[in-house]
Amino acid sequence: MASTHKVQVNSLPVVEVTTGESKSLLQALEEAGLELNYHCRTGFCGACRCTLTSGQVEYLNEPLAYVRQGEILPCVCIAKSDLSIDH
Amino acid sequence: MRYTTFNQNNVNPLGEPMFFGNPVNVARYDQQRHSIFEKLIEKQLSFFWRPEEVDVSRDRVDFQAMSESEKHIFISNLKYQTLLDSVQGRSPNIAFLPIVSLPELETWIETWSFSETIHSRSYTHILRNLFTDPGPVFDDIVVNEQIRERASDISKYYDDLIFYVQLWQIYGEGTFEINGETHEVSRRILKRKLFLCVNSVNALEAIRFYVSFACTFAFAERELMEGNSKIIRLIARDENLHVTSTQHIINLWQHGDDDPEMKEVAEECREEAFEIFTSAVEQEKKWAGYLFENGSMIGLNKEILCQYVEYIANLRMQAIGFEPHYNQVTNPLPWMNKYLVSDNVQVAPQESEISSYLVGQIDSEVSAGDFGDFDL
Repeated sequence: MASTHKVQVNSLPVVEVTTGESKSLLQALEEAGLELNYHCRTGFCGACRCTLTSGQVEYLNEPLAYVRQGEILPCVCIAKSDLSIDH
Repeated sequence: MRYTTFNQNNVNPLGEPMFFGNPVNVARYDQQRHSIFEKLIEKQLSFFWRPEEVDVSRDRVDFQAMSESEKHIFISNLKYQTLLDSVQGRSPNIAFLPIVSLPELETWIETWSFSETIHSRSYTHILRNLFTDPGPVFDDIVVNEQIRERASDISKYYDDLIFYVQLWQIYGEGTFEINGETHEVSRRILKRKLFLCVNSVNALEAIRFYVSFACTFAFAERELMEGNSKIIRLIARDENLHVTSTQHIINLWQHGDDDPEMKEVAEECREEAFEIFTSAVEQEKKWAGYLFENGSMIGLNKEILCQYVEYIANLRMQAIGFEPHYNQVTNPLPWMNKYLVSDNVQVAPQESEISSYLVGQIDSEVSAGDFGDFDL
């Protein structure tokens, strides 16, 4: 199910993104005009690693890269609420 | 402690640390202490490819049309990558298998090292196509000063760990004199050598390949050497997975989820681990200087390549808990990413949509909704 939430990356202006089964948070943020680091886009390299300061995400695929407490991989997750992330 | 190929003591692998516990006996994966390693094995196997599948025959024409400085860049990078994969195709097995204690990690190490041997074979595939006799290129690897300098730095942590593990296997702990040199062997010292070795391998997998990747993909951006670039993309995808595994090992130690003593060792050796990483960065920047000593190539020069090394180093350092050390926070070569995306890698026609194509995979879950637009 696609759903729309407000996302703030670093201290940039808040963007509204729609994520769902066919659109990861990374894709949605790129469509909103943000540039994030990435390599594999399938959750194993960890290049897009971000810190989640508030909100909740859900994983479409379980990440293979090491994800510490409080970190997320936007290439394989979707937003479940409004988010605030550091990248 | 003498190595045994089948440890007859009944040990519970769920209570073993990754390394320096009991030798593995049954290769079983029904229960796993760190299940991530089996997931990495599956991923690596789904990435399987053979160099011969990639047609590199058009590259010969492109190569002959290159300037001398571009030829130097191209061939030097292949030599360096050949060195890296020669080391990686054997060393994880020799260094880590005698001391590993978990079956899933043991199998990962073998899978990992095997995939590096495919890389080695692909360099011969590329060079055979470019030269009637690729011999001189390979012969130069052991005499070229620039490559030798890197080789000694890459192999020294492996060699040190291997030697001390051999002493430990034969004599156990204690102080030994071998050929006039005194060596102190204790479990703590072995663990320290292991930690530094894994950090050195992590730096190798994380950044040492990227100068060469950047050059290859810069040629591909000009639609040159595309067969070669296709192979290097497959290699880059594998290396990205390998670095994930070394990051996992380091993080499992640092966060104490594995071996409490390794957590202490990680804290003790943090500074040294940091230096291993930053000196690898410096060496790579020097390598960029060597590549461009006869002139640069279109789309790439020494400065921008050094910035890219710093950018990638920052990402990799954060992954193992270091603060980003370099000022380069943005990607100076944005086009690199499109070659590093896993799903853009195509191996066979039927795989064009998904890189982790599984042979004979069947979706056995069918829901009523799948028949929604079915009319009888």
